[in-house]
Amino acid sequence: MNKDDKEAVLFKPVEKTGRGFYLVVAGLVLILAWAAYAYSRQIVVGLDVTGLNRPVYWGLYITNFVFFIGISHAGTLVSAILRVFGAEWRRPITRAAEAITVFALVLGTGNIMIDMGRPDRLLNIIRYGRFQSPLVWDVTSLTVYLTASLTYLYLPLIPDLAILRDRPGLSPWRRWLYTKLSIGWQGTEEQKHRLERLIGIMAVLIIPIAVSVHTVVSWVFAMTVQPMWHSTIFGPYFVIGAIFSGIATLIIVMVILRRAFNLYAYITDEHFSNLGLLLMIFAFLWAYFTFSEYLTEFYGNEPAGMRVLFAKLVEEFSLMFWAMWLFNFILPFILLSNRRTRTVTGTVFTSILVNVGMWLERYNIVVPTLTRPRLPSPITSYTPTWVEWSVLVGSFAVFAMLYVLFSKLFPIVSIWEVREGEEIAAGGVVAGHHAEVGAD
Amino acid sequence: MPHWGMVIDLDRCVACQACSAACRAENNVSFAGPEETALGRAIYWQEVLAEVDGEYPNVRGTFIPRPCMHCENPPCVRVCPVGATYQNEEGLVLQRYERCIGCRYCMVACPYAVRYFNWRAPEWAEGMERYQNPDVPIRPKGVVEKCTFCTHRLPVPACNQACPGNARFFGDLEDPDSVVSQLARSPRAFRLLEDLGTEPKVYYLREGA
Amino acid sequence: MSYKMKSSRRDFLKLSGAIGATAIGASLVRPFFEATAQTSTLPYMQQWISTICLMCPGGCGILVRTINGRAVKIDGNPLHPVNTGKVCPKANAALQVLYDPDRLRGPMVQKGERGSDGWEAISWDEATQLVAERLADIRVNPGPQAMAFMSGRVRGQMGGLIDRFMAAYGSPNHIRHDSLSIDGERIGNELTFGHREQLAYDWDNCNYVLSFGRAFLEASRPTVRQIRGFSAMRRDRPNRRAKFVQIDTRFSITAAKADEWVPIRTGTDGALALGIAHILIAEELYDRRFVSEHTHGFEDWTDENGVAHEGFRSMVMREYHPVQVESITGVSADTIIRLAREFANAQPGVACGGRGAVMQTNGVFNWMAIQALNALVGSIEVPGGVLVQNRPPYSPWPDLPADPVADAGLAMTRFDGAGTRAYPLAHSVYQDLPERILAGEPYPLGALFIYYTNPLFSSPDVKRFYEAIQKVPFVVSFSPFLDDSSAYADLILPDHSFLERLQDDEIEPSLGYAVLGLRQPVVAPLFDTRDTGDVLIQIARAMGGSMEAAFPWSDFSQVIQSRLSGLWAFESGSIRSTNFSHFWDELISQSVWSDAPYAFGQWGRVFNTASGKFEFFSQKLYEKLDELRGEQTWGEWLSELGIDASGDMAFMPHYESPRHIGGASEYPFFLNTYKLMTHAEGRGANTPWLQEKLGMHIKKSWDAWVEINPRVAERLGIEDDDWVWIESPIGKIKLRAVLYPGARPDTLNIPFEQGHKHYGRWAKERGENPNWVVANESDQLAGIAAWFSTRVKIYKA
Ligand SMILES: Nc1nc2c(c(=O)[nH]1)N[C@H]1C(S)=C(S)[C@@H](COP(=O)(O)OP(=O)(O)OC[C@H]3O[C@@H](n4cnc5c(=O)[nH]c(N)nc54)[C@H](O)[C@@H]3O)O[C@H]1N2
Ligand SMILES: Nc1nc2c(c(=O)[nH]1)N[C@H]1C(S)=C(S)[C@@H](COP(=O)(O)OP(=O)(O)OC[C@H]3O[C@@H](n4cnc5c(=O)[nH]c(N)nc54)[C@H](O)[C@@H]3O)O[C@H]1N2
Ligand code: SF4
Ligand code: SF4
Ligand code: SF4
Ligand code: SF4
Ligand code: SF4
Ligand SMILES: [Mo]
Repeated sequence: MNKDDKEAVLFKPVEKTGRGFYLVVAGLVLILAWAAYAYSRQIVVGLDVTGLNRPVYWGLYITNFVFFIGISHAGTLVSAILRVFGAEWRRPITRAAEAITVFALVLGTGNIMIDMGRPDRLLNIIRYGRFQSPLVWDVTSLTVYLTASLTYLYLPLIPDLAILRDRPGLSPWRRWLYTKLSIGWQGTEEQKHRLERLIGIMAVLIIPIAVSVHTVVSWVFAMTVQPMWHSTIFGPYFVIGAIFSGIATLIIVMVILRRAFNLYAYITDEHFSNLGLLLMIFAFLWAYFTFSEYLTEFYGNEPAGMRVLFAKLVEEFSLMFWAMWLFNFILPFILLSNRRTRTVTGTVFTSILVNVGMWLERYNIVVPTLTRPRLPSPITSYTPTWVEWSVLVGSFAVFAMLYVLFSKLFPIVSIWEVREGEEIAAGGVVAGHHAEVGAD
Repeated sequence: MPHWGMVIDLDRCVACQACSAACRAENNVSFAGPEETALGRAIYWQEVLAEVDGEYPNVRGTFIPRPCMHCENPPCVRVCPVGATYQNEEGLVLQRYERCIGCRYCMVACPYAVRYFNWRAPEWAEGMERYQNPDVPIRPKGVVEKCTFCTHRLPVPACNQACPGNARFFGDLEDPDSVVSQLARSPRAFRLLEDLGTEPKVYYLREGA
Repeated sequence: MSYKMKSSRRDFLKLSGAIGATAIGASLVRPFFEATAQTSTLPYMQQWISTICLMCPGGCGILVRTINGRAVKIDGNPLHPVNTGKVCPKANAALQVLYDPDRLRGPMVQKGERGSDGWEAISWDEATQLVAERLADIRVNPGPQAMAFMSGRVRGQMGGLIDRFMAAYGSPNHIRHDSLSIDGERIGNELTFGHREQLAYDWDNCNYVLSFGRAFLEASRPTVRQIRGFSAMRRDRPNRRAKFVQIDTRFSITAAKADEWVPIRTGTDGALALGIAHILIAEELYDRRFVSEHTHGFEDWTDENGVAHEGFRSMVMREYHPVQVESITGVSADTIIRLAREFANAQPGVACGGRGAVMQTNGVFNWMAIQALNALVGSIEVPGGVLVQNRPPYSPWPDLPADPVADAGLAMTRFDGAGTRAYPLAHSVYQDLPERILAGEPYPLGALFIYYTNPLFSSPDVKRFYEAIQKVPFVVSFSPFLDDSSAYADLILPDHSFLERLQDDEIEPSLGYAVLGLRQPVVAPLFDTRDTGDVLIQIARAMGGSMEAAFPWSDFSQVIQSRLSGLWAFESGSIRSTNFSHFWDELISQSVWSDAPYAFGQWGRVFNTASGKFEFFSQKLYEKLDELRGEQTWGEWLSELGIDASGDMAFMPHYESPRHIGGASEYPFFLNTYKLMTHAEGRGANTPWLQEKLGMHIKKSWDAWVEINPRVAERLGIEDDDWVWIESPIGKIKLRAVLYPGARPDTLNIPFEQGHKHYGRWAKERGENPNWVVANESDQLAGIAAWFSTRVKIYKA
């Protein structure tokens, strides 16, 4: 295959809009309209339309919040780590991963805003924010993370924007957009040098930021004295879970992109195999943390904690609890440890399981604790309503929509990085600072 | 500066719920109705917690009237992102309804579950708004509320005033000679979930001789 | 502290001006969020008005806070000796009675079928005229006796006013609800003390309480007085904490708060009391001096005709050995012996009881047995013991004008059979009306007035009333609400609510000395309602003749003032004045008059019996039965009355086996219907505040339920919250099961409160009324409804 032909598929989604796109967008718009209607009920009536109650003050929305923030780690963290360690196979997937981060973050924060009784008073957080509150830590770290990951998405996009800008046959508004966004990128060595350095710095910076974000999310729970929340390992536990679900999401997104945009040449089976292995490693880490968490609780035998533990192990949450183990560890282990099942299909299937399992895990952390208050309570259950489920479905639709639009406007595979990679692989003319370093 | 505290003598308390009723009337807490109550949306700044257990004929009933503990070291205040719940100079843990963003973090942080959320706008059946107390604000939808120790009518909370068992005492814990201070030193005195370190300012006196 | 929205809103907008778009968004959503007002900043006019609560018959003095003429809060009246400034949870719910959106707006006449929605408004003049004409017709044909007046909460002069209305009219049929309520206690007191009323107890100084089926802390009365007493006897006296023993078929709140719960087999309280008496006597623990000075019939005795009688001592020693009593009551002999010793040694203490023990087929004897314990330990007319309540010194009613029509009517037997051979000791037999109406026996009814009672809800086997009421040609209700019974009336003449009317209230304060409360309007009447007292006077005046002459007052307030002038003339007690109008003003402002403290040692007053003593052998009972015995032998007569005992025993406190409806094999459970603190008689169901915390002990609200022992439920495959049918020989109802460890294995418990067919949006069609399964069984001696006599079965729905 000729190089231009091969690259053509990378430009195609941006430059050609088929029926499929409209169908997908139309479907998503329908779902979103439904979710918007559901949310409008909540605005008009209040959180009364949810299944939340006293003492289950938090439910699906907060679960979604933690879940999406978790997924956001896909992204930046995976691509940053791979970049920092110079893993070559990262090149075609970093963009897809970084986009996941940004969109998931939008949804995470969105869900927490949906959970608010008074979204109209959002600015009170700025106006009266108290740094003693873990929620304010959260707001802060989320803001930093969102800014950082937007930057991190944007920086490697610049050369591609310039490539697009320079392509023929663009509609005027697109040309205007790409021109503005590519901020005068000419691909000079100087520019390339600066860009690579910036990306390098960001890649290093974003790792602690990402870790801190999910740690802080865990602290929202861990800083209370509530049973099975007040745990010292919650920080790393949440981070592990986050990366775990992040990788799973990345795998799913990759297979969709590969299929939808015919990116077989760039996203290869080997990518899936590698990420599959990574997924398995995290499945083990997750299992390790979960096991220590529960064993400690069990062995300590503290009554308030035991009530929550039993709620999960054998009572009303047991189905979810054991499903979580099945999806997050047992099945991934079986499927991924076996060469014959660690196929693309197998890996993607496992990733879907892991995402469901991780959502269940978040739910299992948020809800059971609240159903077992220390003092007697008339209500001890929670059943999410159609509004909450609609918002959950709507959240996924927003995610998909953002992704579809993004891939419509921007190349979902980093064209210049792939080119660079191919050049390195071909051992040909090496561009960029590697050559310079070599020349010194 | 007084430091307000309450003592509830469980040996005198007869679990009548007069305190709960008086609190609702005094503090403009409307009723939730059957459906909303079943969903856990009824608001009781003062609720009588009940547990009947054992096996016939060895049965035990425990009834604990529970206002806000006005913790000296209140976890709810610590976590509030906007300072909508705060502790004043007199040790009362109070709400700024107009500031609260309805995140309910304070609720999950309170180990006593004494905080209530306005899941919807409070409703008064036709004509029943006539018994609203003008001294206490009506809370809007989406904010958290709870027992204020009747800050608008210190030092006689409505619950104590009603209590037919004469089981409730209120006063200044700073003053070692006040009735509440004396009772708080009784060998029968204890506080709920004392080991959590919240330092509640509601003391209970154990039932029995 | 003030929460002023204004300033913060302005600040908010200032801040958000900088972030334009968000501010617009925020102000767009604002209407959805801020519908309600904050603290009123307007000045207001506040008043605290004293009056008397009537959510239950407890008679507490209350202070109602009004703001610009609206009632907003209810506290206790500290001047009132019954509740000294305290209230129970029902008091504040009165605000929701007053402002119930389903109150009737004015008089209404049924133009359609009985029970239909064909109500039309009618003016008070028309309504009064209509009633006057109908009554005048009936008085001629079939005669004045054909008018019956059912009443419930007749407080203060209201009972007397109705009595007078009926007497002037010529009907003996003022039928009070007391036979559903607690008449067994009053009648038992009449037989032993000679007073047909409830006794007083000096709770505050008591050391020991044996409570037989008295819901001391959740119902009973005066409720707040008893709760205060409970608290005082526990903790007001340093180093002296009373012991409280609750004898009950159910683990009630009272049982839970008591120091000991004695679960007893239903209807066997008399046996338990006599078992305790047995030990008191056998171990010589009784008060010999008191017994010899102040009782009659303890030792074997000979009457003036030389006939030898067995004494209480011999009878108890022969019949009620603890082992024997254990087999009847299920309470172990050891417990019986221990309770007896504790009771005797902890004096002063009292044995008391309530509906659980007395509203039974053997209830009067059970009550006599309970009071016999007080007589044995000499706990009568002593501090910490039983007192006989003094009553306020009213001025007498003026004589009725002579009227031969009335005399003829009054000479007829009572419609309900009270005081006849059917029910010798009864004054009212409310629950027997349906059969008599349907049979037209002893004569057909022409009119039925219903005041402050709800027979289509509160009676046993309530279905009968639905059939019977259709047979009565003219039914008038005075309820401010469209309750179950009013729905079947022809005419409703709505009363003021109790916060809108003037009415005195004679309270049974359980203090010994007399207390009289005065209820007064705290707000202007909300609707076109009228005090029923006024309406009765208006009807009488519209009828003219002797009826008009019997009511020389322009309104009910004049009646009250004329009766209460006796208190002023008494020149004792808490309000004294040289002129009546000043006395009246003071009474209005305080709402309570109370007499000087109780003076002990008035033995002549305390025992109003033939012997002037506490009668173990009731001469009253003997004479009353002898009078009605006719030609029958004693054996025949007693067995006709359903009394198994023979000889002297029949006139002494003794144990009769309770009768039950339904065979034990088909209906294995006893049914207990009980009252909760949050139940304000049948009439509390329309207050959301009480509904919302109805069954706090089992975390239930806004519904009815059946409590079942968890072990038994397991055996029957019934789980918590399952729908179950409760079926008795007369019907079945469907309820949610609650597995309750405090339920006896042989008993099912259903709260009395829910299941109204009408009575406003919050009461209507909510839960079930147990009276659709409670059979109509009465004690023939006293005509009291035997509420706990129905057997039932339970199965999954
Ligand atoms: N909160 C409240 N207070 C009230 C009222 C109200 O409606 N609500 N109503 C008022 C009126 S009208 C009345 S008459 C009084 C009635 O007050 P009480 O005389 O106390 O009668 P109940 O409340 O009906 O309670 C009956 C008790 O007896 C128990 N019991 C049932 N069967 C037996 C038995 O065989 N033996 C024994 N030992 N116990 C048994 C029941 O479980 C229950 O606890 O209360 C008055 N006070
Ligand atoms: N199964 C079962 N049945 C019981 C009992 C039980 O424990 N179990 N308890 C029994 C006892 S103790 C009693 S006393 C009876 C009570 O039963 P009832 O004598 O029927 O008395 P209530 O149901 O309290 O009230 C009767 C009616 O008074 C009307 N009313 C309310 N306010 C006013 C007013 O201001 N003026 C007028 N004129 N009317 C008004 C209301 O419409 C209400 O329906 O029930 C008895 N029935
Ligand atoms: S009881 Fe709860 S709400 Fe009250 S001060 Fe303590 S933590 Fe805060
Ligand atoms: S709900 Fe309101 S009071 Fe509670 S933490 Fe959030 S902002 Fe503070
Ligand atoms: S102190 Fe006031 S606000 Fe608190 S429970 Fe008592 S009545 Fe309610
Ligand atoms: S009012 Fe007093 S006696 Fe009644 S439940 Fe409350 S604290 Fe206990
Ligand atoms: S006991 Fe009865 S009279 Fe007293 S406050 Fe309660 S409801 Fe009113
Ligand atoms: Mo009664």
